[in-house]
Amino acid sequence: MLRYNLSTVVLLLIAFLVQQFVPAFTGLSHARILVVQLVFLCCAVTVTTPTMLLLAFLGGILWDAHCYLSPIIADPEVYAQPVESLRFGYSILLFGVAGFLMQGLNPIFRQGKWHFSAILSGIAVFLYLAAEFILISFIRGEFTISRSILRLIFYTSVLTMCVSPVIFWILYQIANLFDYPLHPEARNSKRR
Amino acid sequence: MKPLNLLALLLFLAGATWALTRSERFVRDIQVAYFKIINPTLTAGSAMETKARKFLDETENSKSLETKLNAINGEIGRLRIIESQFAALKRENKELRHALDFKKATNFDVVAAQIIRRHPTTWWQTMDIDAGEDRKIGIQLSVLSNEGLVGIIDRPFAHRSSVLLITDEKCQVSVRVEGTPEVGILSGQRGKFDNNPTLRLRFLSKEASLKAGQRVFTTGRGGIFQPNILVGTILSVEKGPIDSEALVAPAVNFSDLGTVFVVLSETP
Repeated sequence: MLRYNLSTVVLLLIAFLVQQFVPAFTGLSHARILVVQLVFLCCAVTVTTPTMLLLAFLGGILWDAHCYLSPIIADPEVYAQPVESLRFGYSILLFGVAGFLMQGLNPIFRQGKWHFSAILSGIAVFLYLAAEFILISFIRGEFTISRSILRLIFYTSVLTMCVSPVIFWILYQIANLFDYPLHPEARNSKRR
Repeated sequence: MKPLNLLALLLFLAGATWALTRSERFVRDIQVAYFKIINPTLTAGSAMETKARKFLDETENSKSLETKLNAINGEIGRLRIIESQFAALKRENKELRHALDFKKATNFDVVAAQIIRRHPTTWWQTMDIDAGEDRKIGIQLSVLSNEGLVGIIDRPFAHRSSVLLITDEKCQVSVRVEGTPEVGILSGQRGKFDNNPTLRLRFLSKEASLKAGQRVFTTGRGGIFQPNILVGTILSVEKGPIDSEALVAPAVNFSDLGTVFVVLSETP
C-alpha cells in the first residue's frame, strides 16, 4: 500500500512535467487537457483519505506556483482600484474538495466499475473550473459569465475526461506491479 | 469519521492555511524553485509548441495553395509553389526589418525577445518570452511590440519571463485619448479569449466627447508604463450617470505576435 501511495505522489509530479507539453487548443476556446488535475482525481479515487489529502496539498501548492500572478505595485493615486487576485494556496482547497467528490464514488470503484469514476473526473474538472471562475469573480467583483467562458470550461472538462481511461490504465499497471488491490470487493465476490 | 482521517483533514487545513498566509517574497521563492526544477521540460514543451504552431501555419498555407493550384494552370501553379517557399523568409525578413526600425526609432533601452509560449494558464492572459534575468529583465517592466503596448513582466526567471498582457483584467494602464483632455484606466475584460479581444477604458468624464477611431496612448503616470506608447483605438463609448466608459481595440494583434521588446530604461 505504501509503495502504491508513493507511486501516486510520483505520478502527480510527473503530471506537472507532462502538463508543460500540453498546449491550449486555440480552436476550442483555448481549452486544454488538465493533466495535473486529472491525475490527481484519478488517484484520489484509488487511495485512502489521508493520501488523497496529501496529494491535494502537493498538487494545489505546485499548481499555484505554476499559475500565480504577482501583485502589481503601482502609484495608488493613479491606480485607485487595484484588481485583486486569488491568494496563493487557494488551489489546495479546490483540489481537496474535488478529491472528496471523487472519493464519494469510491464504493462503486472498489466494485470494479471504474467507468463511473472516469465520467465523474470530467464532472469534477467542470466543477473545479467553475468554482475557480466564481472565486475569481467574487474576489474581483462583478460576476460576468459569457459563452466563451462556458465553452472553455466545457471543452476543457470533456477533453480532460477523454484522457481519464489512460490514467486509470496506468494506475492499474502500478497497482499490479505493487500488488495493491484496487477492486477488493470485486475480487471477494469472484472468490465467493 | 475515522480518527486518522480526521487528523489528516486537520493537518490538510493547517497546511492550506499556512500556504494562504505566505508572504509575496516566500511565494516568489517557491515559484523560482518550482520553475528551476521544471525548466528542462518547460523549455522542451515551449519548443514543441512553437514547432506545432509553425506546422499548423504551414498546413494552412498549403491548403490555400492547393485552392489556388486548382484555379490556375500548371505553370503558374509551379511558380506559386516556389514563391510560397520564399513567403516565410519574406515574412521573417519583414518582421526583422520592422523590429530593427522600431529599435532605431525608440528612445528606450530595450531587449528584444521571442514569444515561446502562449496561454500557459487557464484564466490569466499571459505569454512566456525567451529572455529573463540573464538579460537584465526585472519585474514590472513594460513590454512593447512595433505596433504598441503588449503588457508588463509578471515573473522574470533566469532565462525566461512571463508577461501579463494588457488584455488581462489585472493589467491596468493609465491612458489618455488623443486630441482630448480625457484620461482613464484601461484594462482587459474577464473571460475574453477571442483572438482580437477588446479592452475596457473606465473613469472617463461624464461628458466625454470621443469618436470611434481616436487613438489611445499611455499617460506615463502611475510608475509602470512610459508615456506616449500607443495602446489602441476607440471602438465605442457608453455614457453612464457618473462617468463614461469606452471599448478599445488593442493596437497589437496578439494572435500574430512574434517579437516583443522589454523596456529596461527610458534612456537609450
